[in-house]
Amino acid sequence: MPVITYLDAISHALREEMRRDPTVFLMGEDIGVFGGAFRITKGFLDEFGEERVIDTPIAESGFVGAACGAAIEGFRPVVEFQFADFIACAFDQIVNFSAKCHYRWGIPMPVVFRGPSGGGFRGGPFHSQNPEAWFTHVPGLKVVQPSTPYDAKGLLKAAIRDNNPVIYFEHKHLYRRVREDVPEEDFEVPIGVADVKREGDDLTIITYGSMVHECLEVAEKLSEDGTECEVIDLRTLVPLDKECFLESVRKTSKALVVHEAHLTSGFGGEVAAIIVEEAFESLDAPVKRIGSLDVPVPFSPPLEDAVLPTIEKIDTAARELLDY
Amino acid sequence: MGTTKAKTLSWKFKPLDPEMDRTELDPGSLTLPREDLIKLYRAMRMSRTFEHRLASLYRQGRVVGAVYLGMGQEAICAGVTSILDKDDYLSTVGRNLAAWFYRGVEPKHVLARWLGKDEQPCHGRDLGLFLADLNNFGIAPYHNGSMASWIPSGAGFALAFKMRKEPRVYVAFTGDGATSPGDFYEGLNFAAIHKLPLVVIIENNHFGYSTGNERQMPVENVADRAPAFNIPCEMAFGNCIFTVIQAARRAIDHARAGNGPYLVEYKTFRQRGHGEHDDASYVPKEMREYWEARDPVDLYTKYLLGKGGFSKEEIEAIDADCKGSMDEAVEYAEALPYPDPGTVTQGLFAP
Repeated sequence: MPVITYLDAISHALREEMRRDPTVFLMGEDIGVFGGAFRITKGFLDEFGEERVIDTPIAESGFVGAACGAAIEGFRPVVEFQFADFIACAFDQIVNFSAKCHYRWGIPMPVVFRGPSGGGFRGGPFHSQNPEAWFTHVPGLKVVQPSTPYDAKGLLKAAIRDNNPVIYFEHKHLYRRVREDVPEEDFEVPIGVADVKREGDDLTIITYGSMVHECLEVAEKLSEDGTECEVIDLRTLVPLDKECFLESVRKTSKALVVHEAHLTSGFGGEVAAIIVEEAFESLDAPVKRIGSLDVPVPFSPPLEDAVLPTIEKIDTAARELLDY
Repeated sequence: MGTTKAKTLSWKFKPLDPEMDRTELDPGSLTLPREDLIKLYRAMRMSRTFEHRLASLYRQGRVVGAVYLGMGQEAICAGVTSILDKDDYLSTVGRNLAAWFYRGVEPKHVLARWLGKDEQPCHGRDLGLFLADLNNFGIAPYHNGSMASWIPSGAGFALAFKMRKEPRVYVAFTGDGATSPGDFYEGLNFAAIHKLPLVVIIENNHFGYSTGNERQMPVENVADRAPAFNIPCEMAFGNCIFTVIQAARRAIDHARAGNGPYLVEYKTFRQRGHGEHDDASYVPKEMREYWEARDPVDLYTKYLLGKGGFSKEEIEAIDADCKGSMDEAVEYAEALPYPDPGTVTQGLFAP
């Protein structure tokens, strides 16, 4: 098995799906001639031609709407947003058209929206956001957010093969930072199944996306001090695999929820509410949440660092819970 | 500012260009067989009959929610739809009942949806003014974000046709008010770049809800916006079934031949308010009188009874048929059960 990066994994999944299924095609800004702002689709134009790798005008609502139409008509478009932040420009087509089409008319719309998300890059307010909660609130959209190359590849394949609109958030900070062995043979990571990334009996940390790695680092540090955290990677936010984390919380009796998105109305609030509703009797401590501060993601390094969750913040919260 | 009293704005009325205006219809070089003339008439008359009854049911409190009618605009969608091939797609607004009827949608099913009953294909999940049924009628799903929202998705259907090298066309019906939102530009821009078989039909009824054209756009005609896309565009009188068909024929032939999108702006008039809750008191009196003298169903009926060579009995028989279908529709729709609340969470996702 070759060692590949998270970015490679996304690229490989796209290429393999396009080779396997002629109805899969790509749309997005600068994805063809340039190969994408992050070079995910480098070489795709040569291999698949301009009919299947479409450089779009900078008009997200237009090409998202077009992708939705083509999806209904039997294609499986994968739309790349250059940055997840720009998904706001296509909000109406996604939440009012794609999300509701099957419920209204029984007509499937197999389309994937890829959004390079997340901060830590000095990208400022419009290139650093984690907009997953904008979409988890809309019935009819599946929302996934992989944290490892294996999951990135398997979830993207599953998303492309799914008959519904799937929003696929890929964290930019993971692109070249994480790498692992990923099988070359075809596989899927099923949508809607969480993954226990580390087992432990003392505290459940529920997280997803880039924060999985921060949480695992905290868990390793705490392990040196003799406490074992279970780290659960949700992988999919909708549909949510709540049994996975409820079972864990019933075992550990303590829960910490961590995401990079803003705290208020972030997806962690939903997870915390489910734990309180369904595992209250098992809890030995209040559920704790960590997210970005409730301000736009600022540009200057000390400001951005103050906004995003850090190893230190997670570590402190985990220790508070363990000591409770 | 505080001391200036706002003057009530009165919407401008401008009669049609004399070259476009018609008070008597003439098919010109268009030769339509008798059965086609009848089919067009039936669709338009059925639409008019349906809408009168729907409005009356609404006033009697027998329709849930709001009701939106297209009275006065029937010739456009009937005429355009009449020249489409069977596997061409169209997206319609609630004012396009005549298009649905032309394609064979049954009045009783439309009314059942208006009443929120358990009727295919939406089973009460959407309003009667929406219809999407690709398999049976080639009517594509769209959504009501803005009235331009189906220009991008229409481009996507057209992209699919082009990628599969199918000689099919997508026709998007919408109104003058829909030419201001971004989706109008984003969709037509994309379609024009890729020369997609997308025909955009603008029914310029001069009002976006209550707001007149002069507060909707800085140009006099929607057609004036087309040069931005480098696509052909024309204006035509929308209340003459024959000029509707002639303009639509050029547009559809152009798109089907692989030459890209085409925009047609039909000048028309919405005889009712935006919805039946709206008394349309903002419409200048002379404007209403001018357009009511050019009612598309009346003009066409007059033609059929005159130069068209139809007898009074023939036309009255169709009218009676439409009334009969409507009586049947009311009986059917009112007797149909509401959807079972137990089904409300089903079908959110496709399997």
